[in-house]
Amino acid sequence: MTAPPFSETRSALLDVSNLKTWFPGDRGEVRAVDGVSFSVSPGEVLGIVGESGSGKSVTGFSIIGLIDEPGRIVEGAIKLEGRELIGLPQEELRKIRGRIISMVFQDPMAALNPVLSIGTQIRLALEAHERIGPKEVRERAIAALAQVRISEPERKIDFFPHQFSGGMRQRVAIAIALLHRPKLVICDEPTTALDVSIQAEILSEMKALVSDLGTALIWISHDLATVASIADRVAVMRSGHVVESGPALAVLTRPQHDYTKTLLNALPSRASPGELLLRSAGVPDAAPPARKEVPDDVVALGSPYLVINNVVKTFAKPAGLFARLQFGLAGAKPPSASNAVDGVDIVLNRGEVLGVVGESGSGKSTLGRMAAGIIAPTSGSVRLAGQPVMSSGTMPRKVTTRIQTIFQDPFASLNGRMRIGEILSEGPLAHRLISRGEAPNYVRQWLAAVGLDPGYANRFPHQFSGGQRQRIAIARALAMQPDVVVCDEPVASLDVSIQAQIINLLIRLRSELDLSLIFISHDLSVVRHLCDRVVIMRRGRIVEQGAAEAIYARPQNEYTKRLLAAMPMLPRSVAGLEPATGPL
Amino acid sequence: MFGFLLQRAWQACIVVVAMSVLVFCGVHAVGNPVDVLISPDATQDIRASVIAQYGFDQPLWRQYLGFVGRLIHSDFGRSFVYNMPVSELILSRLPATLELTLAAVLFASLVGVPIGMYAGYRPHSFVSRAIMALSILGFSVPTFWFGLMLIMIFAVQCGCMPAGGRGETVSLFGTEFSFLTADGLSHLVLPALNLALFKFSLMIRLARAGTRELMLSDTVKFARAAGISEFTILRRHVLRLISIPLVTVFGLEFGSTLAFAVVTETIFSWPGLGKLIIDSITSLDRPVMVAYLMLIALLFTLINLVVDLTYALLDPRLRKGRA
Repeated sequence: MTAPPFSETRSALLDVSNLKTWFPGDRGEVRAVDGVSFSVSPGEVLGIVGESGSGKSVTGFSIIGLIDEPGRIVEGAIKLEGRELIGLPQEELRKIRGRIISMVFQDPMAALNPVLSIGTQIRLALEAHERIGPKEVRERAIAALAQVRISEPERKIDFFPHQFSGGMRQRVAIAIALLHRPKLVICDEPTTALDVSIQAEILSEMKALVSDLGTALIWISHDLATVASIADRVAVMRSGHVVESGPALAVLTRPQHDYTKTLLNALPSRASPGELLLRSAGVPDAAPPARKEVPDDVVALGSPYLVINNVVKTFAKPAGLFARLQFGLAGAKPPSASNAVDGVDIVLNRGEVLGVVGESGSGKSTLGRMAAGIIAPTSGSVRLAGQPVMSSGTMPRKVTTRIQTIFQDPFASLNGRMRIGEILSEGPLAHRLISRGEAPNYVRQWLAAVGLDPGYANRFPHQFSGGQRQRIAIARALAMQPDVVVCDEPVASLDVSIQAQIINLLIRLRSELDLSLIFISHDLSVVRHLCDRVVIMRRGRIVEQGAAEAIYARPQNEYTKRLLAAMPMLPRSVAGLEPATGPL
Repeated sequence: MFGFLLQRAWQACIVVVAMSVLVFCGVHAVGNPVDVLISPDATQDIRASVIAQYGFDQPLWRQYLGFVGRLIHSDFGRSFVYNMPVSELILSRLPATLELTLAAVLFASLVGVPIGMYAGYRPHSFVSRAIMALSILGFSVPTFWFGLMLIMIFAVQCGCMPAGGRGETVSLFGTEFSFLTADGLSHLVLPALNLALFKFSLMIRLARAGTRELMLSDTVKFARAAGISEFTILRRHVLRLISIPLVTVFGLEFGSTLAFAVVTETIFSWPGLGKLIIDSITSLDRPVMVAYLMLIALLFTLINLVVDLTYALLDPRLRKGRA
């Protein structure tokens, strides 16, 4: 696709100028969008990129006129084919929504109504703008589903959202958005909640659809790589402003603004594996406190340490008393037990970082939980230096402290009613790694080691941002002085720049503490950056494993090849990027 | 679905059996009916013969077995006081209570839910604030006071409504109903309103909370983005989504209103079950108490079963697991 000239605004479909959308807050107005201008020509794809809180979603909702109370557009103009949208009566706006401008959301499960069939939801959207009979509604709905490549649309039309997979649900949402052939579709993080391979499909289909229908697209995303693969032009947003905009290729390969450069440099896919990201010249963090005692059975670096032997985990469907009686009497096995993990062998060498990659439902998290001894395997064993990590449901006290876990969601994994100091010292005190008197100092040392102010010990988790919380979660895990840390998607819910800081922290602490890591992720670029060895999982089984470089360079398995091909890539500039100077 | 029904029927059986033991033991721990049944100046011989006649000389477990044995032949025993079969006695009173309760609960839901949805849709408007303030009042005003006020205003001052009784009734399927005649209907209004007050406030608050939460959800935003009108969103999307908690509360409230309509029935001299059970407790009429409590337990399990089936109807996600 060729990008139209950037200065072209005369024939613009949508012209946004100096848009300001503010939300009244406790401490004055929150200026979510603060003077944003851009235009979209018919058939053009504009990517809006930014981290959370940059105002990119609010920009999208401002255009379609769906700003939640008490937010309001305080200034600016939104012109659709020359017609001003701001200040239009609600009924006029409603007539535009869905017919001329429509929108696709991030989470299709939340956007679609779970208790109405797909056919009903399409009918309601059709009847919003047209008077048509039931027969034509059905025909149009089937055609709409067929258009977004849903197989057997005649049958699927009576399905409910929960009967579809995530990707299919998003296709249904796209079908609804395209029903009236709108001139502009706003997509707010439409592929963020989806697996890589589904994301790739949706991206290419969306591209084809908009060029067939001549629809213009505003693609809002935090992911530079997906934006690069779909957008003609890109606008980079930060704290309510557009800091840089222009043709996609130019912005992503020759960024002018420091913030864009920082964003690009934060991406692991642009650095060599193992290298610290962002290359910021800040003061290095303090060293973590020394281990109290090193277990005598610690093996040399590089020799097998955590051995997972043929583990199987079956989650049986809970059966009621009557069902159990029924099966008990008949002597039959309860039906539909599914193997989340189905016979996996893994050897983790000491000091190694092992990446476990897979799409949702591949069993990677279940495997991680068994490796950490959080749940017991149905059969098979997990041994650390020869000792069973968990047998018959209870964990031996000695081994407990030696394997720790860092979870994905730092908002859910920290107890909101405990102070940071208590959170960090609770485990070490319980296992007598430190005494009560040593605790305050120990906590301060760990806070410093993960790059936080040691004075934060008296604060509560809600006083921290997502990235800071993940640092606290890392400090909590490491304060137990483990040898092995299981990281379950530790950077999946973080912005790119924060993700880069957490990856740096893991790289640093790993070498300082001789840690062995199991790093579970769906993000292939992060795994390549961090891991020595990679295991690819699918449907509870390992499909391929080996050294990271080898797998990324010469994948053997068909599934691995597909996964790697689906990975969105940024265009590489010829000259390479100059590093941004200074921290964010 | 059949397996699910079977499972629930099985659970209902267990509940009823457990209930019968609890009720039987509990009732027998309260007072001695002999003192009420026999005049104090009766001779020792008469006393002994009466005690033997009612089986009060037997140990408790034997009395229970006898009770269960009679139950199998659908014989709940005879009322000590009315001297008629308990089943007949209860069945003669049940329709009146059922009618009153149903009127109250339906009024509370059919009027309360739309009002609550409006209050949730426009949470900051003056009308919504007034609705919410009044609903607090509805929670806190005692039923008996509100009932007396209704009688004072509408029956005594205005004289436009009758103060008590069922009025003229019409026989339908062998039972008497008030709501089919104008006179009966006018007798039904005040007690039903009184009984509905608490449930009415509850439905308003529930519908408001659900609507308010859903108006901020992606489902509603997505529907708005498709240009669907606000009324259609409320009627088709929001109502369906908030109906599950509403049905739960509807079921629970229906059951408890049925069992405890006592205060209202007493104030409006409504000849229902509530009055019967109060009378039988004061006169220690054990067979009536036991039969009444067992009937209530059975009705509760029945209502819960209907509620569960309604869930499956309302939420397609629940259908698969139980099919």
